[in-house]
Amino acid sequence: MRKTYILTAVLLSLSLFSAVVLRAQHQIGNGRISGDFGFNGMYYIPDSTIGAEKVDSKVRANAFINILYSNGGFSAGARYEYYQFPLIDLEKTGYQGQGVKYFFADYKNSFIQVTAGNYYEQFGNGLTLRAYEDRQLGVDNSLLGARVKVTPYKGIYLKGVWGVERRNFDSYIGRRDFVRGADAEVSFGEIFPAMQEKGFLARIGGNFVSRYEKSEDDLIFSLYPNTDSTVSALIPANKFPSNVAAWAARMSFGYKDFRIDGEYARKINDPNISNNFIYKPGSALFLSATYAMKGFGVAASFIRADNMEFRSQRMEKSNSLLYVNCIPAINRQYSYQLIGKYSYASQPNSQIGVQLQVNYQIPKKSVLGGKYGTDLTFNYSRFHSIEKNPVAEAVANGTPIGTDGYTSPFFKFGPDLLYQDIGLEISHRFNNKNWKWILAYNYITYNLEILQGHEGMMRGHLVSSDLSYKITNKHALRLEAQHLYTKDDDGSSVYAMLEYSFSPNWFVSVGDEFNYGNPLKEHKTHYYNISCAYVWNTTRVALNFGKTKEGILCVGGVCRAVPASFGAGLSVTTSF
Amino acid sequence: MKKAFLTLLVIACCASAFAQENKKKLSRLPEVDIQTLDGAVFNTKDIANDGKPVIVSLWATWCKPCIAELLAIADEYEDWVEETGVKLYAISIDDSKTSARVAPFVKGRGWEYTVLLDVNSDFKRAMNVNDVPYMCILNGEGEIVWQHTSYAPGAEEEVYEIIKSLSIK
Repeated sequence: MRKTYILTAVLLSLSLFSAVVLRAQHQIGNGRISGDFGFNGMYYIPDSTIGAEKVDSKVRANAFINILYSNGGFSAGARYEYYQFPLIDLEKTGYQGQGVKYFFADYKNSFIQVTAGNYYEQFGNGLTLRAYEDRQLGVDNSLLGARVKVTPYKGIYLKGVWGVERRNFDSYIGRRDFVRGADAEVSFGEIFPAMQEKGFLARIGGNFVSRYEKSEDDLIFSLYPNTDSTVSALIPANKFPSNVAAWAARMSFGYKDFRIDGEYARKINDPNISNNFIYKPGSALFLSATYAMKGFGVAASFIRADNMEFRSQRMEKSNSLLYVNCIPAINRQYSYQLIGKYSYASQPNSQIGVQLQVNYQIPKKSVLGGKYGTDLTFNYSRFHSIEKNPVAEAVANGTPIGTDGYTSPFFKFGPDLLYQDIGLEISHRFNNKNWKWILAYNYITYNLEILQGHEGMMRGHLVSSDLSYKITNKHALRLEAQHLYTKDDDGSSVYAMLEYSFSPNWFVSVGDEFNYGNPLKEHKTHYYNISCAYVWNTTRVALNFGKTKEGILCVGGVCRAVPASFGAGLSVTTSF
Repeated sequence: MKKAFLTLLVIACCASAFAQENKKKLSRLPEVDIQTLDGAVFNTKDIANDGKPVIVSLWATWCKPCIAELLAIADEYEDWVEETGVKLYAISIDDSKTSARVAPFVKGRGWEYTVLLDVNSDFKRAMNVNDVPYMCILNGEGEIVWQHTSYAPGAEEEVYEIIKSLSIK
């Protein structure tokens, strides 16, 4: 117990220390040192009314510091992370440990860039390879190895990567899996400037990615698992492909304000735990078309992913670990408090869907537009699972394991609706421009069974309002109010939050979420929150106290569970 | 446990030692390849404005305070440009999930900013930015003279004062 207090005290003083001392720019000869620091700590109080369990150490904290040295084309950096006793939501994802798991050296000139160590990278839209980080989610799948980027001619871009993917704080030693890949892109507009001047855009690209993981274990499984039969079968270790290859081709064409983008990816047979060890190849198609002119924009996208979960290790099943690729969730992302837990999570093995967004500005100085114009945003998205018709062998065996699994008609929407969102947002500034108002309505349908593992569908109407009033040049008030009306899941909720800001340094807010429609009387609870933040240039210190509802946090279609909690928190971020 | 504290302390001490070094030279933007809205490669060293001040904003279509900040500036932008010659680069950190919608979003709102895409957060990392919104101001020589994270209504006034003082010099 004492240990954790000491730990918190040390981290706290360090964070203040870095906030105060490590400011300004740091020059050594021609080189420059910079970096950033983040600290998140919390004191937990058990609260049975919201299901906040007693945690074994009440004080939790995690912190990191990034140091970056750069000198001309050379740069090097490292990150130290201390997540030994992390906040409980990160602990649940397994992001726990400490050490330097990110370090690199990089040299770059106009022809070549060479990186050794850890790096983040993305090929095209990431359908075959995407190494990225998201600290909020506890996702960091950087590759440890080497990367080369070459620009042999303006408009031609080549990349090659080799690396072992990071898995939380686990050691890289003894790892037998790695990822390698190459990507090429040709941008005709840059090669032929005349084309660009006439407003034409044309780019093509392609890549090849291969994951290596030797299999040493046979897989024994039972046939007819739903009957009394005890017949079992086996996939011998040597029948698991060590090398799993994936490739993708992409293109972008545009003329003036119109543009289309497309990428198609395929992955060869990759029996793994997420796809029931089937040998069917995977595929993904991502298309988008946009048109934009002043005051009007429309974007339409289509995505289909079939058996495209691609990981460094075939037995990995944790929600965020060892992904080689990233099939994007293309729905519009909202930051509304009440529908946070109903954010769509991308389904790389089975999804087909569309997304349409229209932005329109009612012109300034018109009757409806007012002096400053009114912005309208309409959004529609709908995602289904794909249709799967089991192959004869899978039917005969009573299990898809070891077979080609299923066949699937390419453009057919499957029977299960996963997610739908119909929304309209109106953003208006009044003639007295100190008042601004954003009003939005959304109708959301969310498949609880497939996306969260408990029964049913959530259908809900959400009305949200965000009104801000600038009292003087520096003082402002903002009132956020939301109402989710639904008969499903936890029922209806209301939320209100008042924020007062004293620009540019102070933010104070009080908020409350009340789950008044919960079918269980004892769960009709208030989740209040008080917070105060001080911002000074690039340093932010925030204190908060209150309750967090058990839910799901999603950032860009990747989600993690957030346990219920009650307590006081401190967070510090700074860059120097 | 002890080892961890020690490591952390050593790192912090090293960093503070560097902090003692001279602070005369102002820093510049790191050189990172990002993209234009057309998908062409754009190196951040090319962020410039003929000796006039530059505002660089890191934002995303899903970030409400970022949009509030850019919206507040959009109302004044024409006047600012006329008075100070300032140019605003709005660098979106939207990734492939939402980056296709950046252009319709920006044009649909009638923003006159120069918009760039940092789809895998390479520039954000090189700038040591933790969270968006983040904004910095460069003087005519391309040196970073001011930076700030988060947005409170009215903060644009401070930005205006700074670019005004830069354009007078």
